[in-house]
Amino acid sequence: MTLSPDDDFAAAEFALGTLEPGERATLAARRRREPALDAAIRAWEARLSPLAEATPPIAPPQDFLPAIETRIRAAAARPASDGVAALHKRLARWRAAAIGATGIAAALAIGVVAREATRPAAPHEFVAVLQRSADSPAFVASINLDTRELTVRPLAAPPQPDRSYELWIIDPKLGPPRSLGVIDAATVTRGARLAGYDRAVVEDATYAVTVEPKGGSPDGKPSGPPVFIGKLLPVEP
Amino acid sequence: MSTAEETPEATDSAAASDDLALLLGRVAARDAAAFATLYRSTHALLYGVVARILTRGDASGEAVQEAYVRIWEKAGEFDPAKGSPLAWMATIARNRALDEVRRVRPASLEAMPEGFEPAAEAVDPLAARARSERLAALLACLGALDADKREAVLLAYYRGFSRDALARRFGAPTATIKTWLRRSLMQLRDCLES
Repeated sequence: MTLSPDDDFAAAEFALGTLEPGERATLAARRRREPALDAAIRAWEARLSPLAEATPPIAPPQDFLPAIETRIRAAAARPASDGVAALHKRLARWRAAAIGATGIAAALAIGVVAREATRPAAPHEFVAVLQRSADSPAFVASINLDTRELTVRPLAAPPQPDRSYELWIIDPKLGPPRSLGVIDAATVTRGARLAGYDRAVVEDATYAVTVEPKGGSPDGKPSGPPVFIGKLLPVEP
Repeated sequence: MSTAEETPEATDSAAASDDLALLLGRVAARDAAAFATLYRSTHALLYGVVARILTRGDASGEAVQEAYVRIWEKAGEFDPAKGSPLAWMATIARNRALDEVRRVRPASLEAMPEGFEPAAEAVDPLAARARSERLAALLACLGALDADKREAVLLAYYRGFSRDALARRFGAPTATIKTWLRRSLMQLRDCLES
């Protein structure tokens, strides 16, 4: 498999470290699904890695070994969750993460999972967990690709007094991020907000949440970097 | 697991590449004593890698700890055909630091770099003793870049400068920096493959 020159350059910049946060998060998500991209990133890391070896050492301020050994023991007690994660595995992981979240979030998440689990085969149903890290899901966005209906359920999004969360769809084919509107941190937000978007774009895009002035971005552009981000996963019947 | 007291004194500079590769092999087989020796042999280098990028001491300590947990988990994936053990481990540490410094976070919480700035010594690998053929080849190719472009690549690699940070540093538009990086990286690849 060959990579486009643009993707190879993106892989090079990923390895060099010069991508901006949103770009890096997007590429990190893509490499899990695109083996050619993953291989290109590894190749660039290997090309540049002799430089790392030439770094002048700095003595750490303390001995971290005991703390590292403690972490390794703690990790050994958990089921393995690494490697090139299959989509199914990632779905299982967000469910587990969601269930592990705070009380009210857990209750909501169980509701979501139970509903999804009892629904008949629905291959056109996708979800994206919008989160900062794997253990802090903030919103779950579900998208019905047939109706283009978008449903966003809050899980553990911190309330933003006097500010609004706004959802964006980001995809190279669209150019700059496009707003999917303000989403509520306390209640479910619904609407056919993806009407008019191409199916392939909807499936591949990155979904990002920013914090905006109350009522949403005044100029239709995100006013800061995303606080939560996610990609779509198919919902298993 | 063995504890710090049981392990020999640090051997930061002594461990040769072959020894590290053997240690990694033992770590892959879940040998905790080998892991402790590996840590003692390499922690100052890995701390040097992350501290130059993160600048905050607490974040650097966190990144180093995460890097060693990953090294423990991934030791079996080390492939000597693709690079030295130190380069492999340092790349893992560097990626942890980059993930942290490029973490998606709200603009309002964007912390200003505080306090501790690591020794501002110029990182000049061109002057460094080439420890391996791979490093020698990479340095020769870097030496063929224009001085500004070489500095941009090295600031990105060693200090974690983003395109925007490089643009400020060189007083050039971000788009120009992107063009520089693209040309420089492609030139490096062609040079390494020639």
